Amino acid sequence: MAIVFNKVLLLGGGPTSIGHENELDAAAFERLIALRKTGAQIIYVDDNPFSVTSEEIQPANVYVQQVNFKNVVNIIEKEQPDAIMATTGGLNAMQIAWQLSESGVLSANNVTLLGIKPADLRKVIDNQKLRDLLTEISEKVIASKIVADDSEAMDFVREVGFPVIVKPISASHDTSRFICNNTDELEDALDVSFKRTYIKRCSIEQSIVGYKEIEMVGVRDTNGNKMLITGLEDMDPIGIHSGDSIIFAPTQTLINEEYQALRTATFRIMDALNVTGTCHVQFAQSRTDSNYFVTKVSPFFTRNTLLAAKATGYPLTYVSSFLELGYTFTEIKLPTKYSKYLPFMEPTMDHVLVRIPLWPFRDINDVDQHLNTLMKSVGSTIGVGRTVEEAIIKSMHSSQFSPRDILPSVSKVDDDDVINQLIHPLASRILILMEALRRGFSIDELSELTRIDRFYFYKLNQLLRAQDYVINNPMSPHSVQVGHKYGFGDGMLAELWNVNISEITRMNRNTKQPVTYKEIEPSAGEFIEATNIFYSSYELENESQPFSGKTALVIGRGGNQLGPNSAADYYTTQILISLKKAGYKTIIMNTNPNAVSLTPQLSDKQYIEPIQLGNILNIINVDQPDVVFLPGNRHYLSKQLKQFTGLNMVVLPPDQKVAIYKEQEATAAVDLFIQDDEIIPVTTLSFFNHNNRMDLHHINDYQEPMSHWETDEQSLIKQAISSVDPTEWQGLVQVLFDQSGSEYTCTGIRPVRITETAFLTKTTGVNWINVLVRKYLGLLDMASLREQLRPAEHKRYSIMTAKFPFKELQSNRQEGTTKQEVGASLSFKNFE
Amino acid sequence: MTQRYLILEDGSAYPGKAFGSLATTTGELVANSTMNGYQEIISNQIYHNQIIVFTQSSIGNTGLDQNAYESILPSAKGVIVREYENLATDHFKRISLDRYLKQHKIPGIYDVDTRELRHRLQKYGNMKASIVDVADDHAFDQLHATVLTNQQVAQVATPKPYPNPDEGDNVVVVDFGLKSGILRELSRRNCNVTVVPWNASSEMILDLDPDGIVLSTGPGAPSNLPQSVLKMIEEVQSQAPLFAIGLGHELFALANDASVYQLRVEHHGANHPIREIITNEIFYSGQEQGYAVDPKSIDHAKLFITHIDLVNGTVQGLRHRDFPAFSVQFSPDGAPGPKDSVGLFDDFTEIMERRRVDNGNSF
Amino acid sequence: MGKIILDKMAMQRALTRITYEIVEKNKGVEDLVLIGIKTRGIFLANRIADRLQQLENVTIPVGELDITNYRDDIEHDSMSIDVKMSNNKIDFSIEGKRVILVDDVLYTGRTVRAALSAVMDLGRPKSINLAVLVDRGHRELPIRADFVGKNIPSSQKEQIKVYVSEIDDKDAVELIK
Repeated sequence: MAIVFNKVLLLGGGPTSIGHENELDAAAFERLIALRKTGAQIIYVDDNPFSVTSEEIQPANVYVQQVNFKNVVNIIEKEQPDAIMATTGGLNAMQIAWQLSESGVLSANNVTLLGIKPADLRKVIDNQKLRDLLTEISEKVIASKIVADDSEAMDFVREVGFPVIVKPISASHDTSRFICNNTDELEDALDVSFKRTYIKRCSIEQSIVGYKEIEMVGVRDTNGNKMLITGLEDMDPIGIHSGDSIIFAPTQTLINEEYQALRTATFRIMDALNVTGTCHVQFAQSRTDSNYFVTKVSPFFTRNTLLAAKATGYPLTYVSSFLELGYTFTEIKLPTKYSKYLPFMEPTMDHVLVRIPLWPFRDINDVDQHLNTLMKSVGSTIGVGRTVEEAIIKSMHSSQFSPRDILPSVSKVDDDDVINQLIHPLASRILILMEALRRGFSIDELSELTRIDRFYFYKLNQLLRAQDYVINNPMSPHSVQVGHKYGFGDGMLAELWNVNISEITRMNRNTKQPVTYKEIEPSAGEFIEATNIFYSSYELENESQPFSGKTALVIGRGGNQLGPNSAADYYTTQILISLKKAGYKTIIMNTNPNAVSLTPQLSDKQYIEPIQLGNILNIINVDQPDVVFLPGNRHYLSKQLKQFTGLNMVVLPPDQKVAIYKEQEATAAVDLFIQDDEIIPVTTLSFFNHNNRMDLHHINDYQEPMSHWETDEQSLIKQAISSVDPTEWQGLVQVLFDQSGSEYTCTGIRPVRITETAFLTKTTGVNWINVLVRKYLGLLDMASLREQLRPAEHKRYSIMTAKFPFKELQSNRQEGTTKQEVGASLSFKNFE
Repeated sequence: MTQRYLILEDGSAYPGKAFGSLATTTGELVANSTMNGYQEIISNQIYHNQIIVFTQSSIGNTGLDQNAYESILPSAKGVIVREYENLATDHFKRISLDRYLKQHKIPGIYDVDTRELRHRLQKYGNMKASIVDVADDHAFDQLHATVLTNQQVAQVATPKPYPNPDEGDNVVVVDFGLKSGILRELSRRNCNVTVVPWNASSEMILDLDPDGIVLSTGPGAPSNLPQSVLKMIEEVQSQAPLFAIGLGHELFALANDASVYQLRVEHHGANHPIREIITNEIFYSGQEQGYAVDPKSIDHAKLFITHIDLVNGTVQGLRHRDFPAFSVQFSPDGAPGPKDSVGLFDDFTEIMERRRVDNGNSF
Repeated sequence: MGKIILDKMAMQRALTRITYEIVEKNKGVEDLVLIGIKTRGIFLANRIADRLQQLENVTIPVGELDITNYRDDIEHDSMSIDVKMSNNKIDFSIEGKRVILVDDVLYTGRTVRAALSAVMDLGRPKSINLAVLVDRGHRELPIRADFVGKNIPSSQKEQIKVYVSEIDDKDAVELIK
């Protein structure tokens, strides 16, 4: 039975970056809800300004500080928590947990580490210890050795066989790896490597390039009971980072025997590590026999742990929180919408989920864009369907972003380039695979070149054939049927046939082919599990029923990209929370598996559907929402939707295109809130410029209030108010100024940007998104807002610092533009 | 693509597209929610007289491979799925699902809303169904008129004994519709196996001087089998370690005075937690059951309940108090399904080994 | 380095099987008492008792026996040490009981012989049976176990090490060469 912990310190994930988006915040949020049920007081540390979690905790219990060893030690000493939860803070938090235990801080302060015991954590953090452990339990790891000369290297290769990878240790150049398939290549590689190493040592390891990458996510309780959430299969072979791979759930090309062997291995590893909670294990599975290697063990929340939860509908984070506290599966009580058996029913799926990554090369193009062992993607989108093709096309449709409802293609690439990109894939990976099929490459040939299982080419080929059929048979009911089965939405069909979508809708009505929504739930239809997570398919039974009462549909932002997207997800989440508070039943539509806004507790219904016209109209048709919230960056979509009269649409976050600039420069700004003809000052800001670049694209860092606020603020606010016309501007508005000497000149007016809205919410004590939602719903209480807001009462500087992914992408850039931001951190500075 | 129909006893008809054989068949409709191992499922003899609905939306992805059949001549009456993939490509010798079904005269229908079908079965309970070309009154009349055989075991079990030699323990397997997974696991433990027909007498079995006896899985209701089978079990269970699985488990229970009832909805899947009572631990296993042992009927002076299903409360394992004889309802061989409980075969061989050591040492 | 012969799962199963066999052999659990031989035998005895509790809903008394003072291959000043003075924890009478002695490894038989002497000093049980997790052979005395988890033939140069999670952080039996 669980021990009661009165005070739990929860470590946050920190600013979003390559490798983690909002999923850690989403997990922390769910965890918070679970922990509250136990009555525990929660202390949270995170400096991510876009964290939803930190907003849901009493400010006194939130430390807006960088999640590092020193800060966490201070917090532990001050707060004296009973336990620490690090598993939703990513690898960084796990490493801090390890340091805390190694340095004796945990024992000195009597703090229990939840999820994994310190002694077992050491086995995961220390690579050699992990290898020893895996060897001890007879799980295979890739053989590797450090060699001092050719003969040692030859001995090693005689033992493990080719291919091997040779790498110089402490190399003069940046570490290059040589794949060797025979003795000649090995000799050459050793030759070069020994010349490059300073310490006359090279590492040599078995190469598993080309193996299938399979991932298993399991859970274990304190009694040693284990359950598998699901297996995931990377379409791309080992050699392409799992984070950059197209992923399928459930696994598609493993036979039962192989699957069960990996399941058993996962359980054995969880047992050996005494994990209580979740564990994500990655495997390299041979294509020619049943051999496999364990490549990675993560007994904490990872991107794909959460993807497994999304894929199955299993409330993994919630359950896992209790497991970490020491509950057993049978002791966990779930919210009543689930069946009571759910915590210990092994999830089984009756749908397919596909995840396609998104890369930042459009915004940062001066880096090596090849997909390899270094993760480069910044986001991803998912598609869910009853057929594999349907899931592929939905996810592709969302990932290959096009404002219109079409699939982009790469038909202009020449044949040589196609072959080159098949072998050295780029961000357009999936489009190239399809293009190669279209040009008549054989499936065997493609599988050989790419090391992608033939199965996937069959599926892509099927899609091409379906597309051809649909194009060649416009406006036929059978064509619609084929299109629907393979995931072509009505909007897509309309684009392919160049007709108005309403014509397709009419056809569907006449031929009785309405859309149906299927629930994503973990029992494959055995129990009634009201997860309220849906995806579309065209079948018999529709499971999504409209709510009675006021309903709002909120359109999410889709897959994460550089720029303000993680802030946009925060924004969407706040819209949902505000709508709920305003008495609305909320429906979210999104495709980003890492979005906080898809957290089950944050809305009443979730649709995992491409954010495109046809899909939106279908949902509107089923749910009849009273109001629809659409993000401001979807201009084409918004234009299309506006054609449908009777649709009450609110554009939030606002459209930045309405901004007016005299000059694209600024050093300071005044933020105002405008309701009808009333203008309320919110605060002032100073922009930090680097290398004297004051153009707006380079302004990523700012502080609130402005510097010299004591002397300059009041006059600047007056100047700002006189610059805006309330008949043109409503809501949160920013007036930009350029300073020369003591003179401030107005350079432009724009809606307050998404990132800054999040910042203001964290620093001014007013939830501005809530204010905006209420404004557009006509529910705003101005008197209380005026009461709440004290613009001149500044207590300290709040500073926003943008994060760029240059280092991760191995770019030499130092400074970035607003479009290249991957995340941000928030900090505070007292007045001097 | 030929359009065909799945018609149900309750009057509903599901149009879909044909694959596999174009035979017209009738059987019990059962839904299987296991996510892996369609090959093992389709070739398992327990699906004799049954039409299998796969809740997993897509099957056929890896073809069928020679190492994973559960029987040589499958006897399922049909396969219903949302989507199938006709692939025969992989590193093992494989044939495609379509070809396999054609070879064995098993009809398939795809493009069916199997999730709706699953909901229907869950709501209304077990149902007879037919796979037909036309869903007319005649077809429904035929469906209603069809009486499914109760001689299932006799139809699928071996009529003659045969050996599967090795150098380890002598194991006699009584075939009630044996799945190969059981033989595979015995073979992995080097057992010298003799498979005997379902109606083998206790004399015949004991004459083979078994170190252990296995009562196999099989199709249909245990009550369809004659009393002589129960008598055989009663006579052999005290003579050698006994391990009974599936239908074998149900028969073992009957032979020890327990009773068996039919489930309202057959359960075929690998998602239910099974609790081992003695350790209080939970694990998962392939379960394919239409019947269950009634816990209230168990004479606790004779049998222990060793395992229960935590979801529907059914008895999942029994053990005799006086003899090393035990049984499980589920499939520990993991073909298909989790291998969490494959150690039961080790238990069996260890019991046999202990008995030999003890007998050798007895003084 | 050690090679794992029995992993956690196999160890669990061995104890489960021993438990069933104890009930089978004794025709029930009446008058049953378990006595674990220190150190690991005690934990194993407790696990068997837990299993009997689960299975039969009865609490079987578990005693702890420290036989260091009884070993004839360890030198003592005197063999007649007062049993009550030792580290034994047997707070029940064994008079007329069916005693199951529990140890981790059966090797030469000297430990068991010592345990038998110690038990006999405590009273007159109805029967004494021996349950061991591992029988590794090389007996020097005519002693055999009634319940064996696993026979592990081993050379005298090898070591068999039993780990129990209660004190060792893992459940395993290792063969160390």
